[in-house]
This record gives sequence, C-alpha cells and structure tokens, in this order.
Amino acid sequence: MDATAMALSRRRLLAGVVGSAGLAALGACGGPAPGKSEDSDGEASGEIRLVTPIYEEEAGKQLLDSLLAEFTRKYPKVKVQVDHTNYGKLNEKLTTSLASGRPYDVMMMGVGWVPPFAAKGVLADLGESRESLDKLYNSRVVEAGVWEDKVYALPVMLDTRFGIYRKDFFAEAGLSEPPKSFEEMRAYAKKLTKRDGKKLTRAGIDVLAIDLRQCFLPLLWANGGDLFTPDKQVAFNSPAGVEALSFMTDVIRVDKSEEIGFTEPGAATGIPLVQGRAAMMIGHHNTWTEMEKTKPELISEDKVGAFLVSNKRSAIFQGGTLASVSAKSAHPAAATALAKFLAGPKASLAASEQRGNVPAAASAMDSEYVKKNGFVQFAMQNMDSAFSEGGVPAWLEIREGFKPAIESALLGKRSPKQALDDLAADADKAMARG
Amino acid sequence: MVATLAPAPVKADASEKRPPRRRRLGRDRSRAAWLMLAPAAIHLVWWIGFPVLATFVLAFTHYDVLAGTVSWAGLDNFREIFADEVWNLSIWHTVVYTFFTVPVSMAIAVVLAVLLNAKLRARAWYRAAIFMPHVTATVAIALVWMWMFEPNIGLFNALLAMVGVAGPAWLSDPSWAMSAVIAVGVWKGIGVKMLIYLAALQGLPGELYEAADIDGASGPRKFWSVTLPLLRPATFFVFVVSMIDAFQVFDQVYVLTPQGGPANSTTVMTYEIYRTAFSEFRISTACAQSLVLFGFLLVLTLISRRLTGRDEDVN
Repeated sequence: MDATAMALSRRRLLAGVVGSAGLAALGACGGPAPGKSEDSDGEASGEIRLVTPIYEEEAGKQLLDSLLAEFTRKYPKVKVQVDHTNYGKLNEKLTTSLASGRPYDVMMMGVGWVPPFAAKGVLADLGESRESLDKLYNSRVVEAGVWEDKVYALPVMLDTRFGIYRKDFFAEAGLSEPPKSFEEMRAYAKKLTKRDGKKLTRAGIDVLAIDLRQCFLPLLWANGGDLFTPDKQVAFNSPAGVEALSFMTDVIRVDKSEEIGFTEPGAATGIPLVQGRAAMMIGHHNTWTEMEKTKPELISEDKVGAFLVSNKRSAIFQGGTLASVSAKSAHPAAATALAKFLAGPKASLAASEQRGNVPAAASAMDSEYVKKNGFVQFAMQNMDSAFSEGGVPAWLEIREGFKPAIESALLGKRSPKQALDDLAADADKAMARG
Repeated sequence: MVATLAPAPVKADASEKRPPRRRRLGRDRSRAAWLMLAPAAIHLVWWIGFPVLATFVLAFTHYDVLAGTVSWAGLDNFREIFADEVWNLSIWHTVVYTFFTVPVSMAIAVVLAVLLNAKLRARAWYRAAIFMPHVTATVAIALVWMWMFEPNIGLFNALLAMVGVAGPAWLSDPSWAMSAVIAVGVWKGIGVKMLIYLAALQGLPGELYEAADIDGASGPRKFWSVTLPLLRPATFFVFVVSMIDAFQVFDQVYVLTPQGGPANSTTVMTYEIYRTAFSEFRISTACAQSLVLFGFLLVLTLISRRLTGRDEDVN
C-alpha cells in the first residue's frame, strides 16, 4: 500500500471516528431510550430526573434529600436525579431540556404554566379525578393544575398575595377596621400618608412592593373582572380591569399616597410596611417571615393584620408550585409516583415550612406551622376567594406585557384604558400565533 | 510510539516552484498538528458552529419548542420583530447605550492611561484599582450600584440632599434609568480600555517626544499631535471591541433594571432576545432577533474599519 493510499485510509478512519462521535452525541440529544416504567409486579422503577425551582439553598436541598430518601424507601427501584434551579432560571432549564428532546421526567412549575405546557402535549395526564383531589386540596388550588378537564399537575405549595395593614397606624388615624372597598382603600390611604415637607415618609398604601402584575390581578378579580372569558377571549381590558388599574394610578398620580421609586419588588431596603414606611400594602404572605426575622415585635404586639382585597367581591392572588410529569417520560409510573409524593400532605407541608409558603394540602391547616404563621393561616382560611393567573396556552408570552403596560399607566404615559387595550391587542396576537 | 518529524525541504532556488505547504511540513507534522487542534476544533464546531448554524436556520422557521414542531417561515419572523414596538425600542436603547458608553469611556481611559504612564508613586496600585471593575463580577458590581442608586437611603441622593436637591428614583424613573445604566457601563468599561491604551503608550517611540520637546511643544500639544495619532491602531481596536461589547450588554442592565426597566425604558437587544426565547418560548423569533444583532455588529465593524483603521493598523 502506498503512502497516499494509507493517508487516505487514515483520513477516512479519522472522519469515521469523528462522525460516529457526532452521531452518538446527536443520538444522546434525541431523547431517552425507552425504559421499563414498572416491574411485572406493578412496582414503579427506573431512573428519573426532577427539576425543581423550590428546595433552594442548603436547607432546601437537605429537605429534598430527606424527602427523596423516604420516597425511595417506598419505591426502592426508583432512582431520582435532581436538578436544582430557581424560578428565574426554570424557563431556561425547561426550554433546553425540551429542545434537546430529553425533558425532565418530573417538572415542578408555577401556576399559569400548566395550560401552555399541557396544550402543547408536554405534560402527561395524571389520570386523577377532580373529585378525589378536592378531598385533599381546596378546589381553587386544584384548578391551577387542570387543563380541559384533565389534571396535569398537582399542587405542592402556594404563593398568595392579599391586603396587609398596620393596625397601630390605623389606630393612630382613628381607623378601626381594614378597608372593604376600593373607595375605602383610597380614602384610608390618603389619611394614612405622611410627608416631611414634600418628601414622602410613609405611603398610605404601597402598590409597588410586589410585582405589578401580581398587584393588579387581585384588584382586577376583586372588582369582578377576569383575565380571560370562559371561551378564552381576552377580558382584562374590560371596564372592571380599567377600574382596577385606575385604582393603582389614582393612588399614585391623584392621591399621592405613594410615589414611583418609593420602593420596588425585592428592594434591598426591605418591605416598607415592615419598616413603618407604609401603612397598607398588597403584599405576599412571606411578609410574615420578614417580620419574624427583622421586627418580631410587630407580631408579638399584634400590630399587623391581613385583609381580603374587596370591591365587588373579595380576592386573593394564588400562585404556587405544582408537580407535573413529562408526557415523554420513559418511566411514567415512577415519575407520577414522585409527583404525587411531592404534592402529598407531608412533603407539601415540609416544603412550605422550609420556604415560608402556604401548604397546598388542606390537612396542613391544623399543623403547628400554619397555626404559628398568621398570614399563611389567613391565606388557607380564605382559599375560597383565591384566583389564579393563566388560563390560555399563550399566557407565558402575554404575562410579560403586564409590567410595562401597568408602568406606562402609573407613569402617566398612557391612560389605564389605553394601556390595557394595547396589552389586549398584543395578547390577541399572541393567542392567534398559538 | 515516537513520532519523527520530517526535515523541512531546503529551498534550492528562488525561481523554483514552492512545494505545497503540506508536503513541506511533512505528513507527520501535519497529522500531529491536526490531532492537537482537534479537541479545540471539535469544541468550537460543537458549541459555536452548530448553534450559529442552528440560529441561522431557525430564524427562518416557525419552531415550537414546546410542541417540538418546525415549519418553514421565510421572512415572517423578521416582519414580526420589526413590527414589534418593544424590539424597535430595544434597538434604539442599545444604540443610545453604545453611543454614550463607548466614546466616553474611551476618552476617560486614554486620559487615565497617559496619566498612569507617567512616573507616579504607587502607580501599580492606581492601575490595579482602575482595572478592578473589569475583573469583578458584573452582578456584584450592579448590586453595589443598586444600593448607591437607592432613592431613599442611597449614596447619590444622600449627597444631593446635602446641597438641598431631591434626588430622583434613579432606577425606577424612566427619565433616569438609562442614564444610570450608562453611568455604570462607562465606569465598568474604563479599566480594560485603559490597559490597552497603556500597553500601546509603552510602545510609542520616545524620539518623537524628544523632537517635540526640542520644538517647544506643550504637554497638551504633544498629546493631541503625537500621542493620539500614534494611538490610532489601539483606538481602532478598543473602539471595535467596545462597540461589540456594548451591543452585547446584558447582565448589568438585567440586574440594575429587571424586566426591561420601568416601562421598558432600559430594555436592550440582548435582553429582548433572552425574554423572547426563555420567557415566551418563541425560539425562532429570538433567533431572528439574534441575526439582527449580528447584522448590526457586522455593519458597525465594517464601518469602523473604514473610518478609523486599515488592515495594517490592526496588524
């Protein structure tokens, strides 16, 4: 064999090796090999992957490890591989896993995510009946995991937003009860606002401390409005929606009960109401946890209370985390078992306690944790007034537009009606894209 | 096995046709070179080549990452993004950010480099201090600046209050948010530019300055007539690199003004690409946006080459 022929042969060999490696790598991206989901005796088995935005930090990881140890004692033939992330990065994890053809077997995701994922066939029908779940959870909580009458996700924990007020400031102002309507909220807020010269020192009502969409939505629901009609048409720009957004803009632009820049979600300076820089707010139940850490006297001296945002009806914003199973899971029995375990009463309570959230399971109402946390208890007692966001497959795209739309109204760049109408037009386009 | 390297052929005559480079190197050397390059080449092709190729292809498709379906879209994605008010706004913001951060930080950097090229006590410490922001995590920097911009207890408003001025809500007020982000961008970008200018200054021929001294040129005159012209290759390099860097700004904007800032007043192209892909799951649209960003960088680089440099400048 001459040298040229030999070189060509080696080149071909090298090309073959590289090509094979490439094909092997592509194959690895092509999705999981079909595996056995359960043994002949019906026991769940296999290695499954879980992605979770909760169980954060060291304490959260330790908790999940202990929960998984318990799970694998029950299902010894199931091995769970965990991918920890947070809500900020969850979308990236899910997108890349779906694009690679290797979706996680068990996906923990937020309320509002289920319709987009279920509609596109990403999630598996868990085969649960609404009736059986209604015995374990409040039916409003179950609703978040349902798409077209099938249960695709089970609730683990809830994130709630409602009215919070300082009883001591109310007493100083001669107010004995929290407001029961938008009109009262505005009037009380004006009365409770304090200034040092022109400088705002205490906001009468704080509507800027949480995500603006999550502040607007309880107002929308309390005013009798909704995000979408039952036949999936945009409804948030209805007169009820415009009034709800007008409430927010009037608080800032007309009543001057708060100012843009006074605070913002996750502000490094903390929650103004806890610091005494706001008398009322639409806030997250974890305000209780912040008080426990920074101002425990507010709890021990009963200086803070919660109220339902009300106008035409009462409303609580209900977000949260749900456990779902991939429709492409090679081990659906094992994955479903894990999803049910994580949404079970014990795991749900433990995860909620670690994170300071509201347990999804109704049985947690009697737990020590719920009894000790006044805001968690308040949320659980008022779950009948809970509303969840989402409801259409394009929700994840539509929700991105809320913050700038609300901000443009708060800044006076557009009227509340114009801001919501423009957002509704964008939402219609997003829904038309499918 | 020991590889033996073939000796390079001796050049017998200048008029003789040069043998192919490959033969000159010898097959063994060539093979060794390819083998050594292979890991990096495979890495580049796999992690950069394929994604770039995929970006170009996906930009012309309707790719539904959730459903896993792909269909041909032609120019639909491009029509859609240019009809999108927020995307067009993000292009404008990116241009504004670049327009202010690049020239301003370059001007400050060249002055600092000239100052720090002089014999100063503790010069190394000054250089290190100015370079420090470049090697510090942007997120950490942004968090510190967030504190300084905080409207109620932040440093800037406290200083303004001392002279009786009520400071704005720097990061929450759309009128100020972009200025605040630009200020951080300028501050962060000075270090590396200063370092490049410093390296260039140390390579400048001293005899030109001696001649200028003999001619009685003042310090500023020497700066404008000797230093700056001689720094042209460095200026070209800094300009191009800074412009590309500015067009790709993401993390400081993301941390300082989350979700595009108040009423989208600080949203930039990279953030919109991120939001489209990972918040809205519209991968093809994000790919089209990425191609627009790529086009901008390509055109700007070509223009800047025309305006400020030639090939030999780079060399």
